[in-house]
Amino acid sequence: MKLRSIFAGALLALTAISGPALAEYPERTIESILPAGAGPALSVSQIIAEAMSKELGVPLTVLATPGAGGIKAFQTGLNKPADGYTIIDGYVAPLVLQPILKKADWNFEDFIPLHAAASNAFAIGWRTDETRWSSFEEMMAWGRENPGKLRYSSGQRNNLPHLVMARVLQSYQVVAQNVPYKSPPAANNDVKSGILDFAFVNVGNYKQDPEALKIGLVLSEQPAAKAAFGGAPSIAEIDADLGISGLAPMGWDWWLVKKDTPADRVETLRAAMGKAMNDPDVRAKIERMGFVPLDWDHTNYVEIVSGVRDQLSTMADAIKWEEDALKAVK
Amino acid sequence: MFDMLLNGLGLVASLSTVILVGAGLVIGLLVGALPGLGPLMGIILLLPYAITFPPVQAMGFLIAIYVGGSCGGAISAILLRIPGTPLAAATLFDGYPMAQKGRAADAIGIAISASAIGGAFGGLILILFSPSLAAFAAGFGPPEYALLAITGLTAIAAVSDQSMLKGLIAGAAGLLLATIGTDEFTAAERFTFGLFELSNGFNIVAIVVGLFAISEMSSLLTGDDLLKRPELSVARPGFRSAFLVLKRWPNLLRSSTIGACVGALPGAGGVISSFTAYAVAKTFAKPEERYGEGAEGGIVASESANNATAGGALVPTLALGIPGDAATAVLIGALLILGVFPGPTLFAQHSDIVGGIFLVYMLANVALFVVGILMTPLFVYVLRLRKVILIPTVLLLCAIGTFAVGSSIFDLWVMFAFGFVGLILRAGGYPLAPMVIGVILGPLLENNVRRSLLLSNDGLQIFIERPVSATLLFINVALLICVAVFALRRLTAGRKPDILQGSA
Repeated sequence: MKLRSIFAGALLALTAISGPALAEYPERTIESILPAGAGPALSVSQIIAEAMSKELGVPLTVLATPGAGGIKAFQTGLNKPADGYTIIDGYVAPLVLQPILKKADWNFEDFIPLHAAASNAFAIGWRTDETRWSSFEEMMAWGRENPGKLRYSSGQRNNLPHLVMARVLQSYQVVAQNVPYKSPPAANNDVKSGILDFAFVNVGNYKQDPEALKIGLVLSEQPAAKAAFGGAPSIAEIDADLGISGLAPMGWDWWLVKKDTPADRVETLRAAMGKAMNDPDVRAKIERMGFVPLDWDHTNYVEIVSGVRDQLSTMADAIKWEEDALKAVK
Repeated sequence: MFDMLLNGLGLVASLSTVILVGAGLVIGLLVGALPGLGPLMGIILLLPYAITFPPVQAMGFLIAIYVGGSCGGAISAILLRIPGTPLAAATLFDGYPMAQKGRAADAIGIAISASAIGGAFGGLILILFSPSLAAFAAGFGPPEYALLAITGLTAIAAVSDQSMLKGLIAGAAGLLLATIGTDEFTAAERFTFGLFELSNGFNIVAIVVGLFAISEMSSLLTGDDLLKRPELSVARPGFRSAFLVLKRWPNLLRSSTIGACVGALPGAGGVISSFTAYAVAKTFAKPEERYGEGAEGGIVASESANNATAGGALVPTLALGIPGDAATAVLIGALLILGVFPGPTLFAQHSDIVGGIFLVYMLANVALFVVGILMTPLFVYVLRLRKVILIPTVLLLCAIGTFAVGSSIFDLWVMFAFGFVGLILRAGGYPLAPMVIGVILGPLLENNVRRSLLLSNDGLQIFIERPVSATLLFINVALLICVAVFALRRLTAGRKPDILQGSA
């Protein structure tokens, strides 16, 4: 009996001691769910996660969850408890684009933002020994004369580059065949070997071999994006008004948590991510990947993301237009 | 080339590099041997640690995990009849029977030696032919990949010894399973039944672990020797394993070449190379070698091929900046974080880094041989565990490994479901490997056929217009004729080919 009492007393004491410690957040591994597979985006997320992990004192692992244009990652995150142990890496495609395309039923305001992470500019490129055209305008003229003959890739279907490129083609009334590829480097390779006529290129791919592809059009009007692609012409310099600016035609992500996450935990995560994003070492590493670290904190979230949503909404019919126009010329 | 290596030597020749490579190998062998985990998971988990080192040392550490992980799967395939990674699925055909005959240490020794030598051969190809192989790989487009997938599928004929018909049925079931998920071309969901967990199809790790591990452990449970300590005299493996491998040099050379060439093709991967190399080795083998019953040549073929694939996969990774597979995609990520942009520019501007990476890759393969042989007794000890301890331990490791891949409970259910499927297939005498081949090659085949047809405006001429594509088509036809000839040979030998009779 005495032994049992001692055991019970010890257990009670242990509970009393460990009570406040258990209440401290975070006490175990936090997961960040990335809507992409192995690639540069995973590396950028790991850089931020590593820096946040040092601030939080617990491991922060990045879970690469590709599939269904990022929807699988979001749904995986939404099915986890709102306890601050799951972060959703809110890339623009599943956060804004998929709801616009009616592939997802959430709104960006259904999430609590921590901090903006990084952006990544896109461009259109073709092979360097191309003889049919030497500028983007000439390529569009060739495309108008040869409806349905141009073959291009935006990487995966229904992603942001697809929407932006379809919008550009729609503006010029050029009917082209989109050919989906799982990975952008594979599509770029097929442009170099002449299988495709043009493809979307991101800064990282461009920097790996600036001579491999001729960059014909940078899909951003921002000077920094133009500079990242070696001063190639940008959408600010073409005849068509695409009605997109700022972050709208670019890839970017904002780290998020579920709506019901306790406020104190949200604040802890925000503070950790804010420090990580201001760390010069973190910023340098992200920049070396060809991405641009973003400075916006949670207070800018609604303004920035709603602006992008409004712009992208006006382009929502571009992919449908492309499909219909292609059927008509076949 | 020599200057490049000489410049790189300065970055490699340090004790810390050797220690990092050794540590990477131990981690790689462990993540490879544990069912579910694999080289990719090991590299992802340790990337944040690796990038705290200079580029060549970081690459040495990660490449060692890649090399060790590509070999580690053979250990559990040989000891437990469970491929630790899909890469080792072809190794169990002869590895496990060899272990059952009391030659587990030899089998592991051969697997490690073949991996190390095959990997080093892949490294030589990487060093000597990187630019030309990269150019060869760059010419591969959708029609070539589609036909390469068909070449891989013909390996089903080689691994369906008991019944080709049953092998083909299992392979076709694998191809059908591969259709589950989001259609890349229309973004429509197929056979997902509203489950978001299926939007990217089944997790291949859950399928492999379920089919092989869960069904194997379940069949062990039915034995009456659960409490008995296995009385096995486990011989200590020696470095003589290398001689057993070198004795089979034509097989080694051929399989390593297949591995390195397939590896150089982005997206093709080690599963195609190991099964193709096994199928080719079996075709060239004498009947007395008895492939499928513990032939040393079978292990040599699959293991030299899958490790040579690692060397081959580094060719497009470094020379073109195009990842050869998912693991090298993470390696590219690590290089980018460290400010190194792989591609032709890297060769021109930082030849010391390229030379250093070539050297750490070779060092990793040499070290694999030493570290692997020294660690083998630890692995072989598994065979002396009582089944009552072994079975729950393996099941727990399987669950942890499968869960770790996607942090998903759903994957665990998939694993158990495929364990049940595996049991049924075993009971019916259906081989398991063809299903794995089908699941892995299905998307490669389907997506590239559809991509080719989009490019050619639905014309089939795209498959014969391009020289490489036409050559592959010819090879595939020749392989299918070979399969038919084998069936006829069996017929003339007095055994009815079971493709005709429909049973084993």
